Amino acid sequence: MNTRLATLAVALLAGVCVAAVASARPQANAPLTIYAAASLTDVFRSFDSAQNYSFGASNALETQIRNGAPADVYASAAPLNTQRLHRAGLVEKPVTFTANRLALIVPRSNPAGIRSIYDLRSKPVKLVVAGPAVPVGGYTLTVLRKMGLSSVLSKVVSRESDVRAVTGKIALGQGDAGFVYVTDARAVSDQVTVVRVPAWAQPRVRYEIAVVSRSSNKAAAQAFITSVLSARGQTALKNAGFLAIPKAPA
Amino acid sequence: MLVVATGAALLFLVLPVVAIFARVPPDELLAALGTDAAKDALLVTAETNLISMILILLFGTPAAYWIATRTSRLRDAVVTLVELPLVLPPAVAGIGLLAAFGRLGLLGGTMDTLGIDIAFTQVAVILAVTFVASPFYLRTAVAAYEGIDPTLPAAARTLGAGPGRVFARIAIPLAGAGLGAGAALAFARGIGEFGATIMFAGSLQGTTQTLSLAIYEQFDLSFVVALAISAVLVAISGTVLLSVKLLTRWRSGSTTPIPFAPTTPTSG
Repeated sequence: MNTRLATLAVALLAGVCVAAVASARPQANAPLTIYAAASLTDVFRSFDSAQNYSFGASNALETQIRNGAPADVYASAAPLNTQRLHRAGLVEKPVTFTANRLALIVPRSNPAGIRSIYDLRSKPVKLVVAGPAVPVGGYTLTVLRKMGLSSVLSKVVSRESDVRAVTGKIALGQGDAGFVYVTDARAVSDQVTVVRVPAWAQPRVRYEIAVVSRSSNKAAAQAFITSVLSARGQTALKNAGFLAIPKAPA
Repeated sequence: MLVVATGAALLFLVLPVVAIFARVPPDELLAALGTDAAKDALLVTAETNLISMILILLFGTPAAYWIATRTSRLRDAVVTLVELPLVLPPAVAGIGLLAAFGRLGLLGGTMDTLGIDIAFTQVAVILAVTFVASPFYLRTAVAAYEGIDPTLPAAARTLGAGPGRVFARIAIPLAGAGLGAGAALAFARGIGEFGATIMFAGSLQGTTQTLSLAIYEQFDLSFVVALAISAVLVAISGTVLLSVKLLTRWRSGSTTPIPFAPTTPTSG
């Protein structure tokens, strides 16, 4: 009985040592842990399915990285979050890698009869938006301000925690209208109708990506970022409905 | 060795709770409680859970009695059904509520024609809270009724009391401590509900944002406010736990069989 226990203990110890050594040494083929904005879920997964992803609201991911989350790469839907982490020394210099546009979506059945953005002001509507700290939530406030429709915010019935939650509520018909990215609308195009936000009212959406400073696999992380910026990456983003990297400096 | 294991377990369980209170100075915590987000969350949680508890007690007390007085096979089947929400992950509960009561859900069309619109209202919060909390009450209440010495209701029946009177005047008082403990458990579960609420009712400060939802939003806006709200929830939950303990100690007094004084054998 004692020898059995001893053998088990030695085997366990050996296993732990091997695992520790293996995880400490960066391996070229080990999958990266990529924290990315929720709107990048479909395009990143199909672009590089070999990596480990954690998708969520960019602000929530920022908080997790601040609290020590083991990410190698951080891709945010707004410069604010990457820049804050960069100033805190938690990520290396961020790079803009794509842009997006906002759209208003309504359920297929369109219970509130919304045909244009201005209908939000004139008709009773259950409006669903993302919280103000979420990038798309902030962009929504910008759109409404540019269109002179900030009063419409009184019709908000829920501030969701990320853009996918907004999409879900509208696709399920729970809300009458919601502001999301055009790329999210495409994912549920059979359940929602898109009401276009005019180009002059669009906010300056900038997605930034950076290597996380405490990553143990920085070379591979940088390689991932390079591939996103490459022709292949940019084509994948364009095909998913994202916009090309804006030429003017931020 | 045993002491080390116990010490480690205790430390692991107690540390996060202590950390909530110890992480920032108490005056900061109190100041954070004064913010609108915290006050609104407290109000919403209080209103919705009060109504939810009333519903649970109103429907659950007689329902549990009915279940407890059925034959064992029927009772077991019904209890299993009633316990189902207990083992459902809250997210699944949220999906289920949407599938049943959502606008495109099973009852959505009916509710539309009746003009009932619960999307994103406090009614939706109450539904979610009631759904996840009622099994706690029902399960404990059934056990409480079954712990009553059966000779007592039987004696009442022989004295001419109808089933309703037996229920109201005999069963409820005798099972009282157990019912109280069950209500406390249901209340604790209800105020902590998060997943089903955020999916089914959404989150809007002052309307549907309960304490748990407020923690979630404040966590990356102002960690101090999140800590303060968490401290409130810990305090409430601690009080509930204490009252459950005290009530169950009291309960054992009222449901043990009361021996009748032995009568001298007569021909009566």
